[in-house]
Amino acid sequence: MRALAVLLLSVAGLAFAADEPAVVTLPNSNPIVTFRFVFRTGAAADPKSKEGAAALTAAMLSEGGTKELTYKQVIEKMFPMAASVNSQVDKEMTTFSGSTHRDNLEAYYKVFRSMVLDPGWRPEDFERVRQDAINYLKVSLRGSNDEELGKEVLYDQIYQGTRYGHENVGTISALEKMTIADLQAFYKTHYTQRNLIIGLAGGFPVGFADRVKKDFEGKMAVGVKEDLEPLDVKKIEGRQVTMVEKQTRSVAYSIGFPIDVRRGDPDFLALLVTEAYLGQHRNSTGLLYQRMRELRGLNYGDYVYIEYFPQGMYRFEPAPNLGRISQIFQIWIRPVEPPTAEFALRLAMFELDKLVNKGLDEESFERTRSFLQKYTNLLMKTNDAELGYLIDSKYYGIPDYRSYVQNGLAKLTLADVNRAIKKHLQTENLDIVVVAQGCEALKKKLVNGEPSPMTYNSPKPEEVMAEDKTVASYPLKIKEDNVKIVPVDEVFQ
Amino acid sequence: MVRSLLLACALVPALLAATAPSQKVFPYSYDQHDFPNGLRLITIPTDFPNVVSVFIVVQTGSRNEVEPGKSGFAHLFEHMMFRGTKDNPPEKYQGILKEAGAASNAFTSDDLTAYHTTFSKEDLDTILRLEADRFEHLEYSPAILKTESLAVLGEYNKNSASPVQKLYEVLRDTAFDKSTYKHTTMGYLKDVQDMPQQYEYSKKFFDRYYRPEYTTIIVAGDVKPANVQSQVAKYWGDWKRGSYKAEIPVEPAQKGPRSNHVNWPSATLPWMVIAYKVPAYSDTVKDMAALDLIGFLGFSENSNLYQRLVIQDQLVDYLEGGYENHVDPYLFTAMARVKKPKDMKTVEESILETFHGFKDTLVSQDRLEEVKKHLRYSFAMEMDNSEAIAGTVARFVALRRSPDTINKMYEMYDKVTPEDIQAVAKKYFAENGRTIVTLTGAEK
Repeated sequence: MRALAVLLLSVAGLAFAADEPAVVTLPNSNPIVTFRFVFRTGAAADPKSKEGAAALTAAMLSEGGTKELTYKQVIEKMFPMAASVNSQVDKEMTTFSGSTHRDNLEAYYKVFRSMVLDPGWRPEDFERVRQDAINYLKVSLRGSNDEELGKEVLYDQIYQGTRYGHENVGTISALEKMTIADLQAFYKTHYTQRNLIIGLAGGFPVGFADRVKKDFEGKMAVGVKEDLEPLDVKKIEGRQVTMVEKQTRSVAYSIGFPIDVRRGDPDFLALLVTEAYLGQHRNSTGLLYQRMRELRGLNYGDYVYIEYFPQGMYRFEPAPNLGRISQIFQIWIRPVEPPTAEFALRLAMFELDKLVNKGLDEESFERTRSFLQKYTNLLMKTNDAELGYLIDSKYYGIPDYRSYVQNGLAKLTLADVNRAIKKHLQTENLDIVVVAQGCEALKKKLVNGEPSPMTYNSPKPEEVMAEDKTVASYPLKIKEDNVKIVPVDEVFQ
Repeated sequence: MVRSLLLACALVPALLAATAPSQKVFPYSYDQHDFPNGLRLITIPTDFPNVVSVFIVVQTGSRNEVEPGKSGFAHLFEHMMFRGTKDNPPEKYQGILKEAGAASNAFTSDDLTAYHTTFSKEDLDTILRLEADRFEHLEYSPAILKTESLAVLGEYNKNSASPVQKLYEVLRDTAFDKSTYKHTTMGYLKDVQDMPQQYEYSKKFFDRYYRPEYTTIIVAGDVKPANVQSQVAKYWGDWKRGSYKAEIPVEPAQKGPRSNHVNWPSATLPWMVIAYKVPAYSDTVKDMAALDLIGFLGFSENSNLYQRLVIQDQLVDYLEGGYENHVDPYLFTAMARVKKPKDMKTVEESILETFHGFKDTLVSQDRLEEVKKHLRYSFAMEMDNSEAIAGTVARFVALRRSPDTINKMYEMYDKVTPEDIQAVAKKYFAENGRTIVTLTGAEK
């Protein structure tokens, strides 16, 4: 009965109207209790020249002490329970999550509550989490994962000049100047009753959710309505290329442009079908994966997203609670060998062009739709994921995600999909981010437009050889003025 | 409602049991069946509705790459298994998976290659049929091998941006002389680049290891063991047993401390790994259980070393230590990322002191009990869906071919005393078995 009530609440989309925290529960008899507390604030609310305030504030809560306990004591209490509190900061959502066995519910909740409500703001914690954030940008992102680097630079490019225009962790220069007072100010303004969604799943006792809500009511400011005005995203003129110069073996690409489609919009499911057709992450049935990797051996995989999907190197499915008011269409080309770099880019663009011009055929549509109908079940395989998706549905004002997708897909037609493709996708105005060594030479090749014939280590079917001839001279239409080369130590600065 | 009811009836007692020391930690009853051809089936009915997860574990990994020049082959083979059969060419195979909405993938490690698919329960028969077909009738041309080996090179390229990959490559190469753990699962770059020329060897590899006696099928989820057994018998019953037994080289005893250094060509924070040779996984000898506990006592977030280096002095922003279960003798490692190059020596000394500390001083019973409690809760919380359950069993199947080894291992943890910890530390944390590798980046 309680599960049903939750569903009705989310359908009604009550969360955003009230001054008090919203509560989303998914009760069942699982002895593991899952917490997901989401504040509807994030990196988009970072004040100017304080980029990283949202992320550091969350880190101070999840990786710092409370008023009562030092961080060392927090760890000592959590360790025997094998529990922790994790934070995730995106543009519009900040999530604190964790799970505990029901045996330890009271002890865990006590620490969790004080971490969120009574942070310790100790200088030694601040110094540690700030240095971690700087090193994440400076060392980990710039230096050890070219794919993620390319993706994050792409987002920075597309959203430059807007409140989405910096990496969620911040900028190095702003982090270096940040103070504890900046974080306390952020906390006071944005960690409010109005912004809070309390999520609980699993076998918590009757009355627990009400108690939690009471504990959080009145302990923080009511808050004002957060700025959810549309973003003033600049129009991309032509094919804009940002090349990140760094020492690396191979060439990674991220290509994209903003789309005016989010969960709940009429064309969302049509684009979801398109995404799955072109290729979802780690799914070998996608078109790009088949044409680029399986047929031609260009790289390890090629995928498309219509929603933000960080940490793709390590995850099979995107994490929940990354809701945004603006999303981009993105192609992710995993690193290719430098001699094939031009050809790989041409092939990806060629396939996208083909899709925009011809759309899907009936068989591909039916097959992809059938895939998504069932695949959606797998996204909800844990209580934690199901709870996360339920909170997202509240954010977007849609029914629970599974019903939303499955019922919507049942009504979707091939014509809907092909119309949405024509309306939202294109190949003429987009950002291309290249992570490579020797960008100057690659730039010349991309700009001069000369054919880049492909050679293979094994015979290919005639169909492929014929297509390759077309692809090799596919017009890249990249103007020299539209290409900039950025040394890696300048990104996220 | 149906879900809650089911969970209330069955799952709760099972998972509660997991956290009580006297009970078996693996909370599910399972059916283990051996077919005449040597294939083993482990069926684990769970109370998570509708979904079924199938893991097919082949007990071959980079450990089995015994010939020179052939490192990385188990992993290449994982890729080749997606290249289809006469009856189910790749497009058809992928099409069926797609219509089933299945999440399908595979991975290779030192000791195993695992193929896993998670899907809705009505598709179990289809999945078992498709999987049997590719395990028994895989077919590919030299041209396909050449193309797929480029995808493997692409994977190497993807990973190569990370200094940690390099650190591990050099650690293994330095610490081992004869053991096949000398190379990583990815293999040496020169061997990866040579893969396109190795069609004949690839056929030999398949013929050796893709055999029922090396293979265990794990089916977890909304299933009935009797039905699964008859489905597996139908599709996998005719698979022919092989005869190959790999002669895995035995690593000679290390005769002195070793060290190595990596100059990383671009900017990074310095890394260090300190490793000691330790024996193979065992669920009957206490040593490995004690070493696992040392990993948590010495290097987890709750350890004194972590508290000092990461939280208090803030010299290090990453610290991890422990032993990863292996079929053959492997390494106990402690790894750190150091914030400033000038602190490398201090960090190294602190880590070495921690190892020595276990030899010199008895750990307290309370600390030990905390770690044991942590391990039980952590295991119980991992088992939160059918895919995770099958995946956990798969890791242990590579070692002992049965979930029962999980229970034995946890029973062993319970028996470990502070004196055992000290004895094991004295036995294995000796200079003669030690290897230290450091990595520093280019100056900015």
